Amino acid sequence: MTTRDPGHAEAPMKPVHHMILLLLAEEPTYGVELMDRLEARSEGAVRLNPGSLYRTIAKLVDDGLAEPLEEASGPEGTGAPRKVYGVTDRGRSALRAEARRQAVLLDAARALDLVEETP
Amino acid sequence: MKRVDRVTRLFRALTWLYPPSHRQVYGAEIVSASKHRWSRPAATLSNRTAVRVAVVWGAAGVWHDRLRGPGGALSGGWLLDGRFVLRSLWRSRGYAATAVLVLAFSVAAATTVFSFVRGTLMAAPPYPDPEEVLVVWGSNVEDGQLRDVVSGPAYLELQRRTTTFDHIAAFHHDAAYLLADGGRPEVLDAVEANADFFPALGVQAAMGRVFGEEDRMSGAARTVIVTHSFWRNRLDSDPDVIGTTLPFEGNARTVIGVLPEGFEWLAPAPLFIPLRDDVLAADNPGRIHYNVVARMADGVTIADASADVARVARDFTDIYPGFEGWSFHAERLHEVTVEAVRAVILALAATVSVVLLVALVNLTTLFRIRALARSAELGVRRALGAGWARVARILAMETTLLASLGAGLGLALAPVLLNRVTQIVPEWIPIPESASRVPALQADLDPGVALTAFLVAVGGALVLTLPSLSTALRGADPRGSRGVHGTIRGTRLLVGIEIAVATALCVGASLMVRSADNLLAVDVGLEHEGLLTLYYGDTWGEDPEGRTTYYRRTVEAVRAIPGVQAAGVIDYIDFQAEDDFARIYFLDRSLQPTRDVREEWRRVDEGLFEAAGMPIVAGRGFRSDDFSGTPNTAVVNEAFAEKHWPGGSPVGAMVSTHDEAYRDMQVVGIVQDVRSLGPAAPPPPMLYVPLQGNPRGTMGLYARVAGNVIGYVPALQEAVWSVDSSQPIAGVWPMSAFVDAWVAVPRAARSLVLALAVLTLLLAAVGVFGIVAFLVRTRRSELGVRLALGASPDRLERDQMNAVVGIVAVSLIAGVVVGVVAARAAQGLLYGVPPLDPISVVVAVLATSSAALLASYLPARRVGLIDPAEAMRAE
Repeated sequence: MTTRDPGHAEAPMKPVHHMILLLLAEEPTYGVELMDRLEARSEGAVRLNPGSLYRTIAKLVDDGLAEPLEEASGPEGTGAPRKVYGVTDRGRSALRAEARRQAVLLDAARALDLVEETP
Repeated sequence: MKRVDRVTRLFRALTWLYPPSHRQVYGAEIVSASKHRWSRPAATLSNRTAVRVAVVWGAAGVWHDRLRGPGGALSGGWLLDGRFVLRSLWRSRGYAATAVLVLAFSVAAATTVFSFVRGTLMAAPPYPDPEEVLVVWGSNVEDGQLRDVVSGPAYLELQRRTTTFDHIAAFHHDAAYLLADGGRPEVLDAVEANADFFPALGVQAAMGRVFGEEDRMSGAARTVIVTHSFWRNRLDSDPDVIGTTLPFEGNARTVIGVLPEGFEWLAPAPLFIPLRDDVLAADNPGRIHYNVVARMADGVTIADASADVARVARDFTDIYPGFEGWSFHAERLHEVTVEAVRAVILALAATVSVVLLVALVNLTTLFRIRALARSAELGVRRALGAGWARVARILAMETTLLASLGAGLGLALAPVLLNRVTQIVPEWIPIPESASRVPALQADLDPGVALTAFLVAVGGALVLTLPSLSTALRGADPRGSRGVHGTIRGTRLLVGIEIAVATALCVGASLMVRSADNLLAVDVGLEHEGLLTLYYGDTWGEDPEGRTTYYRRTVEAVRAIPGVQAAGVIDYIDFQAEDDFARIYFLDRSLQPTRDVREEWRRVDEGLFEAAGMPIVAGRGFRSDDFSGTPNTAVVNEAFAEKHWPGGSPVGAMVSTHDEAYRDMQVVGIVQDVRSLGPAAPPPPMLYVPLQGNPRGTMGLYARVAGNVIGYVPALQEAVWSVDSSQPIAGVWPMSAFVDAWVAVPRAARSLVLALAVLTLLLAAVGVFGIVAFLVRTRRSELGVRLALGASPDRLERDQMNAVVGIVAVSLIAGVVVGVVAARAAQGLLYGVPPLDPISVVVAVLATSSAALLASYLPARRVGLIDPAEAMRAE
């Protein structure tokens, strides 16, 4: 019997969940910022609307992969509350597991010469 | 800043679509992020729409996660059960369709009728505190005059001496002659009302002002107040209309006010003109002409107010002895205006409640039979580990689905039905016993009623599932055990109730149909088909001779129109809820008054009786020589002759009136009665006199034409104007339209009650069908064995039908008894037919028993289709 990787239960991960967790692992941030960074990072390919963004965040929080860290005041002093979210240990494990899973897939694609290596 | 607030409000509102816990944690952030997206410099209109849609879409996603996630309501087999329910309903399409249709028709009928009730009887009148607003009538119990108008001096006496009112006002309906383009006067309905009128109703102007102290006396400015719809349609919603003038014949009037939207006053009049108190004071106390409306002071009851006006009446007799025998009494104005339809609408509401009861009984029957038929299958599910909650959930899901479909379909049907109902109600309804009429009551589908009907249907159906749940959980073998017999007994009782109710409703419907047919068949006393009528002339300024000449010349001009067979004039057109009373003195040979009475009278010309189609039944009618010089002849109707010369003949008797122009007239003939107060009311006694003595300034004209009456309208108008083009003509109407208005309410009630009775009959048939179909189904194997042993299918079919024959017979008798008792209670709605009408009873019994027998025969026929081998194999 083998011990299961703590992140294994979450793999494979949905691409949007994966991207959001990666961004949060880079630097804890709040929803609006996350929305903009996601759009910039994917060069406009992934544009998450506020409803879906918080649905995803809620799912990640419920699954124990992300967590609210602190509450700050809103942008430009509007007073609207905003929560900063970060990745939990379980989230990092899940990212590692996902990276491993994708590395295996990437290796298989490489063997078939399907991957264009960037110079 | 303002715009940001609006956007924030919008998104805050949208967050309410999310599950509460999600909204609590993320709501503020969703609003903040949405505003961020919304206010991006590049955001276009469609982007912004997309942001709104996205927030809604996000809510749908979160709900989906919640319901499908661990512990979600749709986890644990909900979807599985849902699919199972859909599949099993698809297999029993007949059952599903029946249940849906039963609910759909019941919900549609209930929503329609209760929307109508709420929109009419329960609708607020167009003035505040309606319970404080009274109408004061003059009444003379001895003469049978219970609701009459009063004279100007009598009103002023009420105004001065009553102590229980904040305001008491006089008004009357009149015509206003508005000059149209080309100078021809257009006749519009108007209300002439004094300065207390709007304060009594508690109505303020939407623009400008209502009548005040400055309008009370003659010599004040000539003013007019218009209704909102007149301002919108005729004055093009002119925002600067106050202070402008309208060109009335004789003189212009200044518009001083526009009334609030929705204010319609009894007969829908677009114009209000001031009635001066000094004109009221100068009026002859014997000339009764005005309606009185009053608002009670705080803390005053209607009994106080009635006592107050009765006291004033007693004192008024001292001032004006002619008032002897008269009194005043007060009623709530709103009660008067809805009374013409109240009984019919309440009867409809009661009927539809009964239909609902039948529908509920029907659903119970259907659900129980269904549960019993499925008890074996549900028993297997329990044996495989499903708890009672799971079985209940399946039944509840099935019921909710069927009930929602049925109620939804019913709500879709309801507006169509309501549209039909409002189409068969006339534009105006006469108020019995009074010279008034009210705009017909119309109603739109009431959202509150619709929602209630939906919830009651779904909730009621769920409650009705409970007995079937116990049936299903007993896990009884549907073939031959105690469960079957218990269910059959209960069901048979319910079906019996249904048949009884259907029979009772059929008795009621037959009575209503016969009653309405009787009303429609009543000879109203004149031939209204082919008769055109119009009011015309404004010759009050002329002397009686000038007026007479004008009316005689116009009648000549009308008679000259090709196709006009006869024409005549009369001062009040019949069937318009108008009356005009004269004090009449009976004279002895020396022309001394022997006694006096107050009866209706009409001034007519010699062509009137022929034009109206009123035959002379004794003596003679008017001749042309009766129309020269002072009137000295009169004709009475049969009711007048019978009332004042019972058993004898009035021909040759001498009569006088209060009007000096009509004295010492000899009665020369008796003309047939006209039921001018509607077909259901007895014809009023009537004295006809020649018009030349003192004709009114405005008269009515009857023209009998051949062929299409409406085609003669332009020719008739041209003929009248050919005599004097400056004289006004009010709308030209076929007499049939007025006669129809009197029977429209019973006719509408007949259609509705008939429709509800057919619906109940269908529902009862469904109940009978269900019970026999169930019997055949559960006895399938037994019947198979009997067929295999040589029993004839006909015999077995008869046996199945016999199972309901007894209950049908008992229910029919019970239904007839209930129907007759209910009809006796609602006897006021019947005309010319007794509550215990043999024809109605026979029709009801035949209709119900045929429906029940047919409904039991159809499923019983299936016995013949049973294959004995297959039935026994299933065993």
